[in-house]
Amino acid sequence: MSVKLTIIGAGPGGYVAAISAAQKGAQVTVIEDAEVGGVCLNWGCIPTKTLIASASALELVRNAAEFGVLLSGEVGYSLAKIRERKDKVVGTQVRGVKGLFKSWGVALIEGRGSLLSPDVVRVVQKDGTTMDVKSDKIIIATGSRPAAMPGLPFDGESVITSDDAVRLASIPGSLLIVGAGVIGSEFAFIYRSFGADVTMVEMLPHAVSTEDEEISEILERELKKARIKLITSVKVENVEKGGDGMMVAKLSNGQEVKTERILVCIGRSMNSEDIGLEAVGVNTGKRGNIIVNERMETNVPGVYAVGDVTGNILLAHVASRQGLVAAQNSLGGSVRMDYSTVPSGIFTVPEIGSVGLREKQAVEKGIKYRVGRFQFRGLGKAHTTGELAGMVKVIAEEETDKVLGVHICGAHATELIHEGVLAMTMGATAKDLGQMIHAHPTLSEAIMEAAEDVHGMSVHQPKKSKERSS
Amino acid sequence: MNPDDIKYHREHAWVRVEGKRATIGITDYAQQQMGDIVYVDLPEADTEIDADSELSEIESTKATSPVVSPVSGTVVEVNEDLADSPEIINEDPYGNGWLVVLEMNDSSELNDLMSKAEYEKFLKEEEGK
Repeated sequence: MSVKLTIIGAGPGGYVAAISAAQKGAQVTVIEDAEVGGVCLNWGCIPTKTLIASASALELVRNAAEFGVLLSGEVGYSLAKIRERKDKVVGTQVRGVKGLFKSWGVALIEGRGSLLSPDVVRVVQKDGTTMDVKSDKIIIATGSRPAAMPGLPFDGESVITSDDAVRLASIPGSLLIVGAGVIGSEFAFIYRSFGADVTMVEMLPHAVSTEDEEISEILERELKKARIKLITSVKVENVEKGGDGMMVAKLSNGQEVKTERILVCIGRSMNSEDIGLEAVGVNTGKRGNIIVNERMETNVPGVYAVGDVTGNILLAHVASRQGLVAAQNSLGGSVRMDYSTVPSGIFTVPEIGSVGLREKQAVEKGIKYRVGRFQFRGLGKAHTTGELAGMVKVIAEEETDKVLGVHICGAHATELIHEGVLAMTMGATAKDLGQMIHAHPTLSEAIMEAAEDVHGMSVHQPKKSKERSS
Repeated sequence: MNPDDIKYHREHAWVRVEGKRATIGITDYAQQQMGDIVYVDLPEADTEIDADSELSEIESTKATSPVVSPVSGTVVEVNEDLADSPEIINEDPYGNGWLVVLEMNDSSELNDLMSKAEYEKFLKEEEGK
């Protein structure tokens, strides 16, 4: 008898778990309340990257003269066409997942699922009818949603979520983004390219504060170059609506920002309400996150949870890996989640890619380490494309020379970072990375040079008269 | 040619003083070393700067280099033209390529700086190293 596995939620956690379990012979049912693909495919990763592709095409055309390409007439864009392209890309991806479900025999029920007992999931279908799905094992993958700011409710028009921002209904003259994290920073560049006057405010001292401080500093300068205003270490105290349709945000430092629209990107709330967790006794944490162990098990035997709803690292690729782990364990396997080499990719201009320890973490942990750096402007390839900004930073353990972290801000950083992920996964040393022959001319050479710089042997860097002060 | 109405700092910045106002830039030697300048990160008005600390960072096609302030003071003016045309520094480092004006705290700091002749001698020594 094959295992009956029911998965609530078809985002990158749920759908990957579903297909993987089906491939292993389970009888899988997926319940989805909104769209297959979840936030990632419908309101997050994929649509935002599609918008970024349009924005960067626009920027390239604007800079055409730099490459000796002459245009006549005015460079413009059509929001309708950009939206259409985005919807097409999203549609293709969603159909792709549905096709995979069909191919592997995964049953999809559209409706809202909740736990009735540890072995029954009740589904309220779109037409209002309910059905109970008897299950041997259950995986909860209900995801997350944009968190609201107290006192500033979303209205979808003037105070918006990232879900609204991705719909790209119109480009406001001015946009205030609350929260300069990953999502806020990506939208800042998108809306700036399309002509909005963008201001970002951040409670913490840096933009993208989850990254190495030097990487944040590079991005902060690029924000400046793009004429995106960033105000750090401040909170929004209150927002008042004026008669002219404009809002005024009062900041904790006394500054006032007048804006047409506010995009709130202060974090995400877990979708753990009204899914029967209390009824079955599944433990949750303070933020409503479902508590799981490394095997993705909740405290209730047979009930697993993966993805954003576990509140661990809210990234699609983490959810997918958790989904694989949960699927395998639910079918009798015994595998554990390993978070030590999770890459992060941020699609700002330029991009950011990172893996492993940040320098500050190495200091906090008392690890003795060495740092190597290489600036993109030292690469021939960077000059050919005119993408000079950025740096690769490699952190290696002093004693063993093992790579502990790789941090990149620069063109194509989200692709380049995987060399660092591979190095860390295989336990490579900075010397290994530096000795590896890198094709010329490529941006990947920056990783080789930064790894060599760990030992002061980067060929394409001048002799250092003194260490950097920072 | 290096002018003789300004004072020079060993990290290749210069300062021109009128009363308490100190206009600061980088030397011709510095701009030549950096190569084509593509971006200048300037402090905002009212920022307090200490002598010998970082005033600005200049990005060239070759490198990102810090600019060290020759004197202490408060930023009262920044060269807005550099935002769109950073290459002015390459073209006219002692004139239109100035970076900021500081209101000085302590004019005695000027005594620690070099004259044109001293700076040129210093450059020769540096080159010889």
